[in-house]
Formats: sequence, structure tokens, C-alpha cells
Amino acid sequence: MGYCSLFLHKRLCKMKTKLLTLLIFLSLFGCSGKKGGEEGRVTITFWHSCVSSTVPALNELIARFEQEHPGVQIKAQYVPTGDALIHKLITAVQSRSAPDVSWIHADFLQNLVEADAIYRIDEVAVGPDSLPRSVLNDIYPALLEQAKWRGTLYSIPMEATEIGLLCNRELFRNAGLDPDRPPQTWDELRSYARKLTVDRDGDGKNEQAGFFVPVFPASGQYSGWMVWQWYAFLFQAGGDAITVDQTRVLYNGDAGVQALTLWKNIYEDLGLRSFTIDYEVAFASKHLAMALDGPWNIPRWEQIRGLDWMVAPLPAGPAKRATVAGGEYLALFRQSTHPKEAWTFMTWMLRPDIQAMWSMKSGYLPVRRGVLAIPDYVAFLDAHQPLKSYVEQLEVGQAPRPIDYGGLKITSHIAEAIEQATLGRSDPKAALDGAAAKSNQVLSTAPRVELP
Amino acid sequence: MHIASNVFLHVLLYVMALVTVAPFLWTVMTSFKDLGDILTYPPRWWPSRPTVENFVNAFQAAPFGRYYFNSLFVAVAVTLGQIVTCSLAAYAFARLRFRGRDVLFYLFLGTMMIPGQVTMIPGFLVLHWLGWIDTYAALIVPGLASAFGTFLLRQFFLTIPRELEDAASIDGCSRFGILWRIILPLSRPALATLAIFTFMGVFNDFLWALIVVSSDEMRTVQLGLAIFRDRYQTDWGQLMAASTVATLPILTVFFFAQRYFIQGITLSGLKD
Amino acid sequence: MTARTTAGRRGEGISALLFLSPTLLVFSVFVAFPVFFSLYLSFHTWNMFGSESTFVGLDNYTRIFRSPEFWDVLKNTAAYTLGTIPLNMLAALGVAYVLNKRIAGKKLLRTAFFAPVIMSSVAAAVIWRWVYEPNFGLLNYCLSWVGIPAVNWLNDPTAAMFALIMMGVWKTFGVNMVLFSAGLQGIPDHYYEAAEIDGAGRWHRFWHITLPLLSPTTFFILVMSVIGSFQVFDTVYVLTSGGPLGSTKVMVFYLYENAFKFFDMGYASAVAYVLFAIIFALTLLQVKYLKARVHYA
Repeated sequence: MGYCSLFLHKRLCKMKTKLLTLLIFLSLFGCSGKKGGEEGRVTITFWHSCVSSTVPALNELIARFEQEHPGVQIKAQYVPTGDALIHKLITAVQSRSAPDVSWIHADFLQNLVEADAIYRIDEVAVGPDSLPRSVLNDIYPALLEQAKWRGTLYSIPMEATEIGLLCNRELFRNAGLDPDRPPQTWDELRSYARKLTVDRDGDGKNEQAGFFVPVFPASGQYSGWMVWQWYAFLFQAGGDAITVDQTRVLYNGDAGVQALTLWKNIYEDLGLRSFTIDYEVAFASKHLAMALDGPWNIPRWEQIRGLDWMVAPLPAGPAKRATVAGGEYLALFRQSTHPKEAWTFMTWMLRPDIQAMWSMKSGYLPVRRGVLAIPDYVAFLDAHQPLKSYVEQLEVGQAPRPIDYGGLKITSHIAEAIEQATLGRSDPKAALDGAAAKSNQVLSTAPRVELP
Repeated sequence: MHIASNVFLHVLLYVMALVTVAPFLWTVMTSFKDLGDILTYPPRWWPSRPTVENFVNAFQAAPFGRYYFNSLFVAVAVTLGQIVTCSLAAYAFARLRFRGRDVLFYLFLGTMMIPGQVTMIPGFLVLHWLGWIDTYAALIVPGLASAFGTFLLRQFFLTIPRELEDAASIDGCSRFGILWRIILPLSRPALATLAIFTFMGVFNDFLWALIVVSSDEMRTVQLGLAIFRDRYQTDWGQLMAASTVATLPILTVFFFAQRYFIQGITLSGLKD
Repeated sequence: MTARTTAGRRGEGISALLFLSPTLLVFSVFVAFPVFFSLYLSFHTWNMFGSESTFVGLDNYTRIFRSPEFWDVLKNTAAYTLGTIPLNMLAALGVAYVLNKRIAGKKLLRTAFFAPVIMSSVAAAVIWRWVYEPNFGLLNYCLSWVGIPAVNWLNDPTAAMFALIMMGVWKTFGVNMVLFSAGLQGIPDHYYEAAEIDGAGRWHRFWHITLPLLSPTTFFILVMSVIGSFQVFDTVYVLTSGGPLGSTKVMVFYLYENAFKFFDMGYASAVAYVLFAIIFALTLLQVKYLKARVHYA
């Protein structure tokens, strides 16, 4: 078998080149006529990952758009998120069957740009379709930062999300703590967490944990999510992921060590190693007093009977008050046959009244401050404390400085360091330094570019 | 005489079976629980407020009827196709003499050792070239041949006594006639075995279906299940309800048809 | 006589071609081409998005052997294989053997044992995570009856591999049970009848008739199980995601991570070929040393 493959390899390689050329050639024609739409309407294919809970809101949104734009039809197609979304985008771009507009994540913006798969925003935002500076300035800076690659805008945010501190008020009261005064500093977070931890039967294992430190396997699908939450603490200590000139990572500086040490200390204080990683189950069943959580879970907690809960801003770190903010981004694909209409849809999404409607129906956070001037929305927030808390905290929302090259690898290095330090394999400083050495190695292989 | 040991055997088997099937029963139970019952510690076996809401919501979230039809259609088509192609190929490998037979056979076996993830992208390119993306053909045709199936059937064919074929060939039966009239009827258990494995494999496939299909009308059940999970959360109740619905009918079919899967009626042909 | 044989041979060659043609057609398009394409890729770097790939010679392969992570991954895969196969085959053979006898409720039992195979992996993983939960999980609860202290199933490197093996056996042994059942039914009754007349006991019959006559099936299952467990992915992906601390990261997971998380397609293809070489060598070994022991009726 081995012999055969080697023997055939040469000939097949030649064949393959031809075949590939043919494939590419054919694919150029294969899909050219794909979009047409009925009765002269233009059809825009839109890939999203709205799950069962947000699909009804999305359908309403699209109906509204089509009502306002009778010539355009939005064909929304669900693509499972995370790995699945990127798999589909890769294969679609390869075969020239990409959608017009798709949700993308900052993680793989680099790959899409390098493949020349998506438009720069300044290419489509021209003339009457341009994006006024007033709009751009109104968008939360953290979100805009993540929509860019090397300083150039390639996507626009559709909705915002961030993390806050989810608290069980009943457990606060049981421990003699005032739920209206959630922890304000790291030290308080640590001491509250300890006070809220209970070992009822004295077996050395805690039935109730005061705080959940989100440690997940570094190789798993939640590793990016773990690192994202850790960034909030890195920012609070005044750190960031990478230097401005992108030549080396910064996460192993003092701020990183402080943030990871805090996590490790709480993790060990509370014996979280023998606590579940399904923190939602633990919180809902009143076995967990505080956790990092996002607005997407609000409807879930509302459904649980007898759960007295609230959302507080994250405690301030040694340097400042901050949280990590992000969102889902819309990108316009070069393979689109109707970029103008697709762009219309994208900018329509930014309109304050649409943002307000989308936020109220879906539970996502608005991407711009202007929405807070809409009386209906303000009234809505007043009636929904958790959402209001999240929206207010967006003011201190920060996004990690985008990593232009090898971002996914570097994120996995950070994840490994967090896992090693919290599970006690090495101390925070050593774990972060080890990871940073690997990350800097990756960065050293990056092709050098002039910064604008 | 062996009553005691017989009872012991029964008890042991039933306990084992119960342990094995418990996670599935739990799935079924969970699909009737509301969120409060699901998110509770220690876990609760029976729902305290039984509800069918999860089923209703799951079916509102996505057209599972259509997904179900797609999965069944594709799985049945691939299964039937594989039975034909694999038994033909297996017969050639088991009984016919031709140059390079063993080399070719080991090449076949070799392909089983290549992880599917790595052939995914080129396979996708071929489908695209054929213009089959987002069609049933993309889900069916690549599965129409199988090294596993060929190997499985060849092994079974080898256990069939040659004398039966010799008699038939003296009677003037063609090669195909021998395969059709003698070998295949004797191999029903093996064919049935191949059928379930193929069916299960296709029915449970996620990654390939994800890549080659985009539109809602072409989506399979496994792709549909993904809608209950996103980057941050899982909708346990609906996920459990949908996977109960996805699993139960297949399990029912297995229950009633296992005789055909495992006990070929014509096995008597093997007894002299 | 000689002429006739040659004619017969040629006839068989043509029939063989006809018999093989459907399979060969599908294989050349959907297996052979992709396989050679990935071999080609293994000598290149390609991020899948762009059209350009750069020839790098054997770089990907040397990177693999220099990477300490690869050796860990290989070790984990071997541990998984050694842990899973014996348990899996013993359970499958035992259940199939007993179910081949007069047992009440056979159909129901067989369905129960087969249920995990059909169950969606994602749903199964949610349930197993609850089973393995350290404080209130079912498994630790059961262990506490016999005085075994609670284990951090998914948060301890050694225990996590064990947890993975248990779920792996649970999820797949139904397949082998069905195969063994079919194999057992294929053993003609007259062998047993003859043995019974000779006065052979139950064990004697099992060792001297069932096992040898079952050996083609056993051999098949063994070969397939080695291939299958070296390629394990689904259960790892949904249950442990390779953690904690990489202790359950197996070969295909590593391959998947490099291909679809880091988009390092050339490296991933090279990993695939190394994995292929390992599986191939193991299969050859089994063929060489075990095949002689297989009895065909």
C-alpha cells in the first residue's frame, strides 16, 4: 500500500493540478446564476446562528425589513455556531457558494480577509450608502475594535454581548451578606466567594460554591469562551493581550499574573475542582451563589420558579472597572451578486429603532448608545433590571486588542495556561510565561507588514 | 437443573440492560421536565410537573418532520445502495480469481484507516464540481460504496461452504446467478447487519451533512439537533425532546425487525 | 485442461471487473482522489481559505515528530485503545453469547443494549456529564455504597481517560454485540449436536466449538475495533473535549484541531498519514500473527 501510493503520487499530482484547475474553472461558472428571486425581487442569503430561543425574533426582524424594502427578500439560513460556522464558510468560499451576508466572529476575521472573501466596509459604504461618522462614533468602541482587522473595518456589529456578575440574592442573605451591595473589588469577590461556600455534610466537598471560576478544557469548544471571560479580569488589572505593533504578547505581564492568580486562588479556596462545570445547573438549583454570565441567559433564569437573582457589574480590579464585550458581526462576501442590497440590510440593522426592537425581542444588547435615547427602550430597561445592568456596564466594555496573526493558536495558549494554573500543574507566572513563549514563537513567523 | 444459574443469568442480564439503557431513559424523562426540574441537584428522575412543552417548542423551532424525512430517505438509499455494491465487490474478493486481487483488497482495507476528517475538503470539492452541493446526491452518492461493508460481507461469504456453489455451477448457474440465488439468501444475517450499521452511520452523521447541505429543506435530523446549542448555552429540554423523537422510532424498528437483522430465516441452508 | 483453466480465469477476470465496477467508481472519486489530495497537502502548507499552497517538503512530518504534544496524543490514543477493546469485546461477546440461548425477553434486552448506538452523541454526553458529576453524580453515588471515595471524573487527568473509556464502551459495544450474534447464529447446530453426543460440557463446547468457529467474526471485530478506537472522535469531542490538561486528547481530535481550529491543513494531513501508517502497521501485525488462528468452516 505504502509503495503503491508513493509510486502513483507523481502521476496523480500532475493529474491533480489539471483537475484542480478544472474544478476552479467550472466553479466560476457553476454558481453565477444562483441568485434571482421571484418576481424580480432580489434575494439576499443571510447565514446566522440564532438558536431556537431567538429564531422567532429574527423572523420578525426579517419580516420588518422586507416590509420596508419590497424589492429585497432575505433568505435566512441557520448555520450551527462555533466550529460548524467556520467549516461551512470555508467550504462555501472555496466553492464560490458563499452567502451574501453572514455572521462571523472576530476569531477568524483574519482568515476571511487573507482569502479576500469579504468586502472592506469602505468599499461598499460609498456615496449615499456611506456610514456617517456620527453613526460610527455612536457604536461602543469595544465592538468596533473587534470588527476591524489591522485597523481597517471589515464588518459591523449586529448585536452586543458581555459578561456580568450573576448573583443569587437568597444565598447572599443566608450568608449574612447584603445582596444590594455585591462585591466591589477583587478582594471582596474572594471573601464573598468564601463566605458563600458551604460544606453542609462536612465531607470536604462543597455542596454550595460561592463563585464559579469558568475553567474548561483548553482543547475544547469552551476554551475560547474561558479565555474571553478571563480577559475581563486582565483588563481590570490594566493588561491587554498583545502589543500595538503585534510583535509580542502582553498577557503574561503583571496584569495577567494578577488576574490568573485571583482565579487560581478562588478556584482553590472553594475546591472547585470537585464542583460541577455545568454552572447553569448549579446556579438554577441554588448550589452556586455567583457566576460570570451573559445576557443570553436572562430568559432562562426568568423561567426558574423561586429563584431570587440579579445581575451586578463585575467588581473593579486593581487598575479599573471593566468587562469584556463582544458581539456577532456581519460581513459582506465578495461572491455576493447583490452587494448593494446586502449592504442596505447591514446598515438597516444599525438603525437605532431596529436595534431597540432587536434587543427587546431577542435579549441581545444594542450596539450603539443612541438606542438609549428611545423612550420605549428606556422604559423597557427600567422593567428589566438584569438587561439594564448589562446595558449600563457596556460603558466600561472593552475588547481585547485584535491579534492579527495566529490569534486562534494564541488563544489556545492562554487557555492552556489558565487550565494549568488553576488545576495546579504550575504557578500562574510560569504557566503564562510558558504560553507566551509559544505565542511569541508563532508571532515571529508572521509576515511583516507596515502598520498604517 | 440449572434453574438457579438461569435465574442469576436473567437477573444479571436485566440489570446490565437497565444500566445500559438508563442514559436513554433519562433523556426521555428529561424531555418531559420543565427547566426547573432539569436544572436541579441532586438530579430528579421523574418530572415533578410533567410537560410536553419541550416537544411543542422543539417542533416550532425547526421543521423536524422534514428533517426526519430527509434523514430516513438518505439513510435508506445509502443502505440499499451499499448492499448492492458491497455484495458484488465482496463476492469478487471472496470467490473470483483475478490478477491483483489481494493487492486491491488490501488497498480497500487500507482506505478504512484514513480518518474521514481529512478527506472531507477534497470530497466536498468533487461534489461541488459535480454540481451536487445541497442535493440528496451529495448526501447519498459518496456513501454508495464501503470498504467496511465489502470486508464484512467477504468475511461472511468465506464461511459459506463452496460445495453449495459447485453444485449450482454444475447446474449451469452463472456467477451472478450463484451470488443472487445461493450466496445472498444464505447471507441474510450479514446483509442485515451491514444494513443496520450503514443505516445508523448515515442517520447519525453530522459533519459531512453539515458541509454539503445548506438549505433548510435538505437538512437532516442531526443538523436540526444543533439548533438547541449555541456558543454559550444548551437548551436541554428541547434537545432531549428532539433526540428522543429522533431515536425512539429507530429503536422501535430495531425491536421489531431484529429477527431479520440477526437471525436469517434461511440459515437452515447452512445446516446440512 | 490447461486451456480450459485459462479460459475460466479470464472469464473470472471480466466478471470480477463487472462485480467491482460500482464500488471502484465511487471509490476512485470519493476516496482515492481525496486521499491523494491530502497526501499532496501533507507536503504543503495551506490554510484552506486561500488558493495558494506552498511546498514545504517533509517539514510537516518533522514538525509532528518534534512536537511533544504529538507523543502525548499518541500515548492517550494507545491508552484509549487498550482500555476500550478488551472491555468492549468481552461485554459484546458475553451478551451475544447469553442472548443466543433461551432467555426471556430477548428482543427487549437486545434493543436495550443497542440503544446507545442509536442515541445522539450530544444528548448522550449531557447525560454522562451528569452521571460523572463529582458531588451529586450517579456514579459517585453508587460508588459511595461500596465505600469508594468520590472521584473527580472529568477534572482529573487519569480519571477522565477512564470516564471516556466507559462512555466509549457503552456507546459502541452494541455494534459488536450484533456482529457476534450474527456470527454465533452462523455456527451450524450439528457441531453442537455432535459435541453433545460426545458428552462435552458447556465450557468445553464454548472453548472448542464456539470460539474457534466464531474466530472469523472475532478477527473482523478486533481489526475493526483497533481501527475504530484509533480514530475515536465523537465521544471525545462531546464528553471531555480532550481535557483536562490534554489528558484525553486523541489522534483524530488533534488532527481535527489542527485542521479546523488552526486551519493548518498541511500539518493535519501529515498527522492523518502518520495515523494511517500506525493503523496500517497494527492491522498488518494482526493479519500476520492472528490470521493463522482463524478457522473457516
